[in-house]
Amino acid sequence: MLFNSFPFLFAFLPAVVVAYFVVPVHRVRLLVVVGFSYYFYAYADAWFPALMAGSTAISYTAGRLLERELDDRRRKLLLAAGITGVLALLAYFKYTTFVGGYALDFVHVITSTSFPGAHRFVNGIVLPIGISFYTFEGISYLVDVYRGTLRAERDPLRYAFFISFFPHLIAGPIVRYGILQPQLTQKHRFDADRVRSGLLLFALGLAKKVLLADGLAHWVDHYLATPAQLGLAPAWASTLGFGFQIYFDFSAYSDMALGLARIFGIELPWNFDRPYRSASPTEFWRRWHVTLSTWLRDYLYIPLGGNRKGGRRRDLNLLATMGLGGLWHGASLNFVAWGLYHGLLLAGTHHGRRRGWALPRAAAVAVTFVLVQLGWVLFRMRTGRGIVELYSGLVGLHGLGGVPGHLALYILVGAALVFGLPEEWRWPVGRWNLALVAATGVLFAVAVSSVYTSHPFIYFRF
Amino acid sequence: MGRLVALLAVTGIVLGLFAALTWWVDPLQEVWKPGAYAAAEKDGCLLSQELVGNRYYSFKLDVFRSRPTRTFVVGSSRVLKIASHSGERSFANLGYPGTAPSTLLKLFRALPAKPVQTVYMGVEAFWFNNHYAIPDTDPSTYHVAEYLLSRSAFWTSYQQFKLLDYVRPPHRWRVTTVGSRCTIARGYPSINWNLDGSRVWSFELAPKQYPRIHGTPFTGTNLAVWRNGYYDDWHALDGARIRQLEQVLALAHARGWKVVGFAPPEPPGIERVLDTDPRIAPQWQAFLRLMPALFARYRDPWIAQGVRCPASQFPDAFHSGAACSAKLRDRLDEAARSLH
Repeated sequence: MLFNSFPFLFAFLPAVVVAYFVVPVHRVRLLVVVGFSYYFYAYADAWFPALMAGSTAISYTAGRLLERELDDRRRKLLLAAGITGVLALLAYFKYTTFVGGYALDFVHVITSTSFPGAHRFVNGIVLPIGISFYTFEGISYLVDVYRGTLRAERDPLRYAFFISFFPHLIAGPIVRYGILQPQLTQKHRFDADRVRSGLLLFALGLAKKVLLADGLAHWVDHYLATPAQLGLAPAWASTLGFGFQIYFDFSAYSDMALGLARIFGIELPWNFDRPYRSASPTEFWRRWHVTLSTWLRDYLYIPLGGNRKGGRRRDLNLLATMGLGGLWHGASLNFVAWGLYHGLLLAGTHHGRRRGWALPRAAAVAVTFVLVQLGWVLFRMRTGRGIVELYSGLVGLHGLGGVPGHLALYILVGAALVFGLPEEWRWPVGRWNLALVAATGVLFAVAVSSVYTSHPFIYFRF
Repeated sequence: MGRLVALLAVTGIVLGLFAALTWWVDPLQEVWKPGAYAAAEKDGCLLSQELVGNRYYSFKLDVFRSRPTRTFVVGSSRVLKIASHSGERSFANLGYPGTAPSTLLKLFRALPAKPVQTVYMGVEAFWFNNHYAIPDTDPSTYHVAEYLLSRSAFWTSYQQFKLLDYVRPPHRWRVTTVGSRCTIARGYPSINWNLDGSRVWSFELAPKQYPRIHGTPFTGTNLAVWRNGYYDDWHALDGARIRQLEQVLALAHARGWKVVGFAPPEPPGIERVLDTDPRIAPQWQAFLRLMPALFARYRDPWIAQGVRCPASQFPDAFHSGAACSAKLRDRLDEAARSLH
């Protein structure tokens, strides 16, 4: 089910909110939300909840066993087994097609034998939406329990709530159990101010998605369908357009998730903070998909050695972390290339700082912005040919081309919002007066009326 | 609490206004307007297709209910010229484009069992091509709600409301004339409906004002473009659709209704194509063999190609015109009389 759909807005959301606050017993409330969340997930495909239940059972059981076990070797084995268990599901559903496809192509080149049955098998695997997100949440839980920074959850209902809570289920933010656990033990009374604040944030996110991100998507998709024909102006417009599209699309989802959770009295971690205002790639990753970048830092980069083992090892760690981060986004070489590109940018930033290179903040923001936008080409164009064609357009190899007016207008509006106002979750919506609330009501209505032609969120694919 | 209520109220009111304007103007003709049919009845006018739009099913149910119907015809758009005899009030044409065995079953279930009806059932061979996609002629409430709340429909409605005086209150239509007949219409009534549910092309009434429709000639090559692609990629009679037709016949039989089955007339050239084109002929012949047997199972007669009309009586080389349809009506009445 999509947040930007009529069944969600007019049936699911009112039903779950009413059911939650009508039920007086806290544990039953949790059960209600878990039930609704599983239904929310089943809406995409009836068998997806079974997969999530399996992943939940693995990490919950491994967490309990980890806490009971005192022997360090056995604890390591348990941790490895738990992580392998949840990762195996992700690996099978997300990466079999990718790895199997290349393996079969390789076998075909070597032996001239094609295996149509095997091809059909690997290509027939359906990627369950949200699996990348809840797998990472399960892993962070296990590692935190192993490290002793978190007590294992005894209550399977609370743990199931953590994994399945529908606002963050499909596309994050990637929540750590330490943040959610204390909030799940409190009973949240109906608080009109909090519900209003959550609804306002949700409304702003929905408007950002359907009015800005989808508007940009229309023109970006139109131009990027034929990258070989893009002159300098349309190539830059569509690249910048995609940069704003993906930002508005994903940050809108995060705003909506935060707003929805707030309605239930739960505060989720923020995920974006106007990343295009960053003055370096390092700062960019402190502002872009923050729950993923901190996850990668804490559970991958630091365990690999981080920057504790010298400059060369740090560079390798950065490349490995960002390459795997790219692969997390999608089982495709272009995502790996995008991740490695950012790994190089991060390593380059470290080297530049060591040499004392510095730019005035405004220039640094501009350079970072352009570098990030150039990276989106790798992310957006799925084929090597498409990537080369778009980069060729960006350096003017296809001529100048005309300025695409509609897209340019969207980019100007997007830029004004990004550089002129803080991230929406920072807006003091709880203190807004009646006029601002009413104006947001009008915006909400316009946004709701636009969901009929809305696109799915980009990050649903990951 | 006050501001939460204000937020929800403002959102609800604005959405309500959007929906109300779209419902009123209905630019994509997704909303059935029973008032338009009532106005046509009151003034003895025709009803323009612009006011029926995609809501054939609701329209035809209203046609049935508004008359003392004892005899009705069902089928595709190719039965739509079968009309009442002069002064006959008990006949209704309940055919519409997009009819198929499944829609017939739904229609029959929606009609009252009593009084006993005589049904002329026009059956098309292409209904049994499983590549023939049955259009949605009865949009769901959910679909209509999506439409009413859609920003693009609202924007189109707003533009039309500003520009077109005939969608401004108190009416959503105007009375205009086509040739000698009045019609309840909007902008351009090229197709109209009689009160009995039969169809009137405006070129029949005012040939200078409304251009004739021309059909796609059969080129012998591309079935995908010939007759809307209905016969394309057809390899066998679809079993599921045959079973649905059987259910329709069984329901009519259980209600004691008299059914006369028929294949709507084909222009001579087209009949040759159906008989000889190797991509269609086997299925066409199978259809002609199966239908009499199927109808006979319920002791219902089947008229196969019982009426032949010259090509000139098919204005668009697909649908039979008034003269051919009148001949067919006589033949059907004759078959029905033999049942009583």
